Amino acid sequence: MRRSQWVWVPAACLPVAGISVSVYAATYLTVEQAQQTIFPEQKFSPAFLTLSREQVREIERRSDANVRRKEIQVWNVSGGGYFIVDEVVGKHEFITYAIGLNADGTVKQIEIMTYRESYGYEVRNANWRAQFVGKNASAPLKLNKDIKNISGATLSCRHIADGVKRILATYEIALK
Amino acid sequence: MKSHLNEIRRARPLLGTLVEIGAAGKNAAGGIDAAFREIETVHRLMSFHDAESDVSRINRASPREVLPIDHRTYEVLSCAQLMSRLSAGAFDVTVGGRLAEEGFLPRPHGSESFDRNASFEDIVLLSDNAVTLKRRAWIDLGGIAKGYAVDRAVIALKKCDVASGIVNAGGDLFVFGDSQPVHVRHPEETSLVFPLGAIRDLAVASSSGCFSEHREPGAATDGLIEPRRDLRVNWQRSVTVIASRCIVADALTKVVRLAPRRAKKILSHFGAQALVIDRRGVRVFQPTENEAQSGVFGSMCLNRSHPESTRGSNCLSGSSL
Repeated sequence: MRRSQWVWVPAACLPVAGISVSVYAATYLTVEQAQQTIFPEQKFSPAFLTLSREQVREIERRSDANVRRKEIQVWNVSGGGYFIVDEVVGKHEFITYAIGLNADGTVKQIEIMTYRESYGYEVRNANWRAQFVGKNASAPLKLNKDIKNISGATLSCRHIADGVKRILATYEIALK
Repeated sequence: MKSHLNEIRRARPLLGTLVEIGAAGKNAAGGIDAAFREIETVHRLMSFHDAESDVSRINRASPREVLPIDHRTYEVLSCAQLMSRLSAGAFDVTVGGRLAEEGFLPRPHGSESFDRNASFEDIVLLSDNAVTLKRRAWIDLGGIAKGYAVDRAVIALKKCDVASGIVNAGGDLFVFGDSQPVHVRHPEETSLVFPLGAIRDLAVASSSGCFSEHREPGAATDGLIEPRRDLRVNWQRSVTVIASRCIVADALTKVVRLAPRRAKKILSHFGAQALVIDRRGVRVFQPTENEAQSGVFGSMCLNRSHPESTRGSNCLSGSSL
């Protein structure tokens, strides 16, 4: 016979050791690893460039995104195409990613290189953390940087999508 | 728990979120590549925004027009229809129409209008992976396709002989092979995480309205509409479901929120468990102590005022189906 039940657990009774404050960060690829992942067995020659004011204006107009940095980290790929490292900053996250473009400017592949959540001052401040500690708890809430598998609301990829649009406009204006 | 030193992880922006795949073993890199390609395929087939997707073709279709669709889209629609029947219509993919009216989705390509009387009952699945609609409808698979993509990615990894890994699509995840610790994020205090314990061969999906772009002061709202009463659902709690397939976990996070009275029965039907986190605390639902999944929340339930709380093993394993 099946027995179903709801178990009510008031938050104050949760063992404090269970709850953690987490600032998730992950490094997936270095530049060299990202190059080899997107363009296996190719060679890369740096072709870094700095955008002029006119180019920045035109890119912003075409992609409807702000150009935060005029320096573009781009490599020419020996078999054709481009390898670019870009970064986007969201409200809570800082992401560095690699984008491989085919010779015709279309996207070949995108790989996240580093991802870092940033909740800033509060999370590192013990007084802020103290509000989550129940009256019976003896240990303060600890900051745990090793948590890597999280289920729960995460932020949309809007910033990366905007970054890709900006990179594609950059290709049209400055690389083609 | 085994060491994950030989696990490699990659992440790509897909499905409107960040998809992370971890795999251990000698064909890990090849498996990860194949898994991402499968996710891209699911995205292409089921995107509301892509004019060539199966979803867009369905949304442009005239009543009684017979549409051949990919077997993957057919599988998702079959599961969606089952969820609709079990929840008496609280879960309904034809809610795409109202989502478009509310501004959460654009008008589908090539379609001017939808029939306001349309419901899941107007979707007819035919043999040979074909579908037809009795009334014009705009379907949105956003509440179920992400979980399905995770399941397909796991299949792709296993086909490449990857013995152990994890696929995490923006918080909807599946762990197989070696167990891994999984945490759930608090819906409002985004840096707080609760441990679920060690998970193996199971899916975990979570749903909350916190990061919606349509934010009204004082209440988190997102595009979750109760179709039968046309109400926008406001809520500040998150629902986490643990099930043997991610498509089921994903869909059930909506069912638990939209059909709370039927939720227990529906969770039992799938042998799934749910966890609700809100301002007042954490509520756990476990279908039965006979299931392999019992006792997972032992460490969370234990507190001084309830000494009889279940204290089970701290590794949660799915049965191999």
